[in-house]
Amino acid sequence: MSGAAPKYIGFEAYTERIPSGIPKAVQQATGRFAGGRALRVSELPQWEQLRQIASDIRMHTIRNMDVYLSRLEESVRAAGGHVHWAGTAEDARQIVLKIAREHNVKLAVKAKSMATEEIDLNHALETAGVETLETDLGEYIIQLDGTGPSHIIVPAVHKTKEEIAALFHEKLGIDAPPDPNELTRIARETLRQKFLDADMGISGANFLVAETGTLVMVSNEGNGRMVTTLPDLHVAVAGIDKVVPDWESLTVFLKLLARSATGQKLSTYTQFITGPRQTENEFGPKEFHLVLLDNGRSEILKDPIGRQVFKCIRCGACANTCPVYQNVGGFAYGWFISGPIGAIFAPQMLGTPTARELPFASTLCGACAEVCPVKIPIPEILRHLRRRVAQGDETINTTMPFYIRAAAKIGATVLSREWMYGSGTTILHFFMRFFTHHNQISNAPYPFSRWTKVRPLPAFASGFRKWFRKQKDFFKETVE
Amino acid sequence: MKNPILENVRRSLEKEGDPSLPQRPAIFPSRKLESSEQEIDNFINEVKALSGSTQKLKPEDVTVALQTLVVENRINKAAMWKTPSIHELGVEQCLKKLGVEIVSPTANKYELSTCDLGITEADAILPETGTLVLSSSNEMPRAVSLLPRIHLAIVRPEILRADLHEVFAEAKQRNYLVLITGPSRTADIELTVTLGVHGPKELHVWMMV
Repeated sequence: MSGAAPKYIGFEAYTERIPSGIPKAVQQATGRFAGGRALRVSELPQWEQLRQIASDIRMHTIRNMDVYLSRLEESVRAAGGHVHWAGTAEDARQIVLKIAREHNVKLAVKAKSMATEEIDLNHALETAGVETLETDLGEYIIQLDGTGPSHIIVPAVHKTKEEIAALFHEKLGIDAPPDPNELTRIARETLRQKFLDADMGISGANFLVAETGTLVMVSNEGNGRMVTTLPDLHVAVAGIDKVVPDWESLTVFLKLLARSATGQKLSTYTQFITGPRQTENEFGPKEFHLVLLDNGRSEILKDPIGRQVFKCIRCGACANTCPVYQNVGGFAYGWFISGPIGAIFAPQMLGTPTARELPFASTLCGACAEVCPVKIPIPEILRHLRRRVAQGDETINTTMPFYIRAAAKIGATVLSREWMYGSGTTILHFFMRFFTHHNQISNAPYPFSRWTKVRPLPAFASGFRKWFRKQKDFFKETVE
Repeated sequence: MKNPILENVRRSLEKEGDPSLPQRPAIFPSRKLESSEQEIDNFINEVKALSGSTQKLKPEDVTVALQTLVVENRINKAAMWKTPSIHELGVEQCLKKLGVEIVSPTANKYELSTCDLGITEADAILPETGTLVLSSSNEMPRAVSLLPRIHLAIVRPEILRADLHEVFAEAKQRNYLVLITGPSRTADIELTVTLGVHGPKELHVWMMV
């Protein structure tokens, strides 16, 4: 499910096919993380200031992305690393495959990276004969399982320990007791050998520092360190939007990231990698390759509202707080990126014909915007994208079915002319009398039958405007 | 050679031919360190909260502490950083006397992976989050704090830093830095926190006072 770009995301249809255990598992995860976040936020009196500073730095970076990307490239090269630019997902896959071929790679280990899922890298590598292993425990479990992630941070939270034990038995041939500590130990031992034997380590990047060409990576398990320390070759794939100006700005983002994501003060391991290793014995890769991925991002930069999506630091707080996400989890969003951020990212990356249901996968309650550490105005962007779907704009024609457009036009016309509205409601009252029995409307014609089938409507009283005119004198007195 | 992606970025931002860069917005100022005793306690409490094991030690107590560590955790093989402080504390001799096999920190990764204990120092420690800051070099290889199942970090009050601002100001030109905040952990299985997924299962921090 996560992987190759989908042709069409049928959000509504997907929500009806969610396995029954998902919402409960997702809610346990979102509840835990949202609660942790709330605690950490209350500890920092300067939280709101930090959010504003972070938001300002991100917008500044977006507006000057060309300069920072140039600097980043120079710095990485100065540090002895290689920089590759990938215009499309296919370009990126070809670049990584070429590096793998040149180095005769047979086994690759991967740290969790959304950019590599965006370009469906695993599939391409496997087809080329490179054994490619996910090493993040949750990702490893769903890779064995062959399904997609139900939650951004804990992708296998929908699997019970019994199911995971059965999975290890079936796929690894190991008799595993259904105990999280034992299962963790088995994963540790199984993957340890792979880390040691791997020819290539593949990672993403949380941030790319233009000032020094430094790749910043956070992880809790240590697989991020393994993947970037043990193999001789390290390939990092990251979107161009991951660039940040300098180390100073990192102090703000690192203060916000873990707290917003899981309620930790800091993730267990935060690495700062600048090029390949400098000395023979310190461990670390001999060669470092950074693949910068465009894949539609440079186009999105044209849209001053939509490009705010690039402020995102991938904490997942929006998803943890979203009432829609809490009830459907990651499966329904149809692509590797889910939740409110997915609802504004996917339509821009995949185009509105493919993802036109996603801007509507929201109640516009605004909870996401309140918790976003970089103040992305998600509801505003959702409305902007809805307008794009319904009316089209410079980038796209409308993709709304014609009967909805027609109904919207008729509604707008009637509501903006008082004589139409007045006579319309009078006619409506007249006809409704035929369906009113015992002061209730329980058997209305289509389309009102969709309501009255389930619950009767109270009978219409006289029209509001008529009533208001009768009260005119009362209001005249109180106003004067 | 022209870069079409950068060209497209410039075009989208309507910045063609404009290489100027306005000032980056200002950052929150640093916090100040409180008293040394207070910060040491802050640091120790944070490490404990992360399920790390900490103690304050005088140099003469190191031998006994090492003995307890080795016996309680059945340490057979250990590797350590080649730094002056670790050398002065006599860690290597002490461990040898306890029958622990010493593996060179620059041994290959397969050998280091069989070690039970990895001993390092730190470049800096952060009291607000109980974080250890480690850089990397021939004498201080990265794998020593990563591969063994127990990581012991020997630290001193002098390396206390107020926050990341200070750490970054000193360290940003290094080619590698890792911030270690507690032992390796995950909650991927039913949200139950388990330690020692891939990195060390136990983190011991000894504060030399």
